[in-house]
Amino acid sequence: MISTITSDETVPTSANFPQQNFTAQREVLSLEMKIETPENVVLTYQLAGPAQRYIAYMIDLAIRLAILFGAMMVINMIGIVLPGTAIGIFLVIMFLNTWGYYTISEGFFKGQSIGKHICGLRVIRDGGYPITFWPALLRNLARSADAIIFYGIGITSMLLTRRFQRLGDLVAGTVVIQERSLKLPRKPVILKKIQPLNKNDIGSFVPRDEVLSLIDEFMGRRHVLTYERGHALAGILAKSLAERLKYSGDSQKVEQYPMAFLASVYQTFSLSNHQEEDEFTVSNQSRIRNREVSLG
Amino acid sequence: MDKHKFIQQRQPHWKQFEEFLMSIRRESFTKLPAEEISKYSQLLREVSNDLATIRSRGWGHDLTSYLNDLVARGHNLFYGAPPANLAGVFHYLAVGFPRLFRANIGYFLTACLLFFLPLGISWYVVQNNPSLATRIIPEEMMANFDLMYGEESPLNNEEEKTTDRTDEKDSFLSEESTFGDQRASMAGFYINHNVGIALQCFALGILLGVGTIYTLLFNGIFLGAVSGYIVSQGNGERFLSFVISHGSFELTAIAVAGGAGLILGDALIHPGQRTRFQSLQVRGLEAVQIAGGAAVMLVVAALIEAFWSPSGISNLVKYVVGSGLWIIVFIYLGFAGRQADITPLPVKKRERSKSSEVGFNRGPHS
Repeated sequence: MISTITSDETVPTSANFPQQNFTAQREVLSLEMKIETPENVVLTYQLAGPAQRYIAYMIDLAIRLAILFGAMMVINMIGIVLPGTAIGIFLVIMFLNTWGYYTISEGFFKGQSIGKHICGLRVIRDGGYPITFWPALLRNLARSADAIIFYGIGITSMLLTRRFQRLGDLVAGTVVIQERSLKLPRKPVILKKIQPLNKNDIGSFVPRDEVLSLIDEFMGRRHVLTYERGHALAGILAKSLAERLKYSGDSQKVEQYPMAFLASVYQTFSLSNHQEEDEFTVSNQSRIRNREVSLG
Repeated sequence: MDKHKFIQQRQPHWKQFEEFLMSIRRESFTKLPAEEISKYSQLLREVSNDLATIRSRGWGHDLTSYLNDLVARGHNLFYGAPPANLAGVFHYLAVGFPRLFRANIGYFLTACLLFFLPLGISWYVVQNNPSLATRIIPEEMMANFDLMYGEESPLNNEEEKTTDRTDEKDSFLSEESTFGDQRASMAGFYINHNVGIALQCFALGILLGVGTIYTLLFNGIFLGAVSGYIVSQGNGERFLSFVISHGSFELTAIAVAGGAGLILGDALIHPGQRTRFQSLQVRGLEAVQIAGGAAVMLVVAALIEAFWSPSGISNLVKYVVGSGLWIIVFIYLGFAGRQADITPLPVKKRERSKSSEVGFNRGPHS
């Protein structure tokens, strides 16, 4: 949708847009939950919203109905010989299906029912720990309170809490997160044909690492945007970077080829870093090698 | 250090840790040899360190989120609870549940008041004035009760029936087997119905306790009215001999589950020094363990109700066994797990208590 907006409209407005507002907005809309681990590292988890959980719920509902239906077929066969026992077993299965399906699946299979597994959701304790049996039982017994008026209470509670917790989650201290698949990051973009900036054209300003990796990631993903939109977005950064660098070279390059300008900025500074700290990395590498020997 | 170099150096370690996380799903973590575990726990700390490094230098969102997920999974694995086992279940039933129950006995007594008092009153009122029963019990149900506990009921174990049976041995046997078969279906019904009601009674406590109080009052009044009606119809003997055995487990368990529900409600109303959510979480974890115990008691009650209560044994035996079961429930909830200390007992004391350790219940001074 964004990519269909033409550059004429967006460039002036977005270029003037104060940078700080973007970060402030991101805080408010954040779906992330932060947890500090015993290693003193802050982990972020992506919370699952009501819509995703609804889909998972529907899948689970279908599976539970299928289980009941399957049980009914088998029970009918047993029922030919022992009609009473068959009904008894069926009722016990029904009981386990209503009260035990989620408890057993979440309590013993690391917080995932089948529907949650398919949707890539997982229930964890709000300290980041895996869920155990008692919290799983608690959150799913409380389901009967959440389910009043077609989950009206649960949905209301989800919308009122910051971590999308229904009553069962609140009482058991759990959250539902969205699991991302482990994906090795791409290698940083290596720009062979791009020439670094001329040192005479720029001042003493050195862009921060964040800016360089932003450029890196932008380069890596530019194919998902249309040319115009990518051009417009790159223009914002290129303009302000050129200002900070006091770039006195080809001003046409900044205006008309902002992406190329960013690439050459990246090339200039990532390469210079590279050479300065070469000795450091070599010594570090040998240290790591030693550690590997001691490990195994 | 440069980003490229850093990634190049660390990537093999990340890959190694990732492979470990993938492989560990299949086999149990606890079965790994000690060196492996310490090796991977060191890897976890290294990867955590890498994550912190990359964050502080701002080396890109992709890299951060990849390492974040890697550490999160490791964290999940290393700080997970040990797997549950059978000994844990036994410990819960023999020690954990009765202890928790006694620690929160005030809620249980309140629930008893909410359940047994209306039960007694409605019993008394309906027994003296059976026409009032129609206001509480549906008509078909009343006809059903008449059938169940009347002269023709299967519970009727007077002389005439047994003489019928002895005429033909074959028919006697087949009747016995269909009796057991039908009982199995009733067992299923009781488990599904009664345990479900108790669990719901507990869970609705989260609505400030209102749901629990409603369920307790409603069931108390209803059961009282049913009992009063049946007794007033002159079927008291058959009804009481039927009810006394499983009543010990069933009625107590309903009050236990109700008490657990009241804990939830009270945690929200009187959070004390904690915030309301904290209080709910801390007390909720206790409450659910009590409710779980109530569920187990109700399953026991359902089995007794299905297989023992309606069996054709003379009423005297049923009364004796029934009162024995009441005493067992009382001793179990009142005294089980009293001696099992978290700190190990002194040797002498332990030797003495070993004999009683086999049994389910332990006396207060044994």
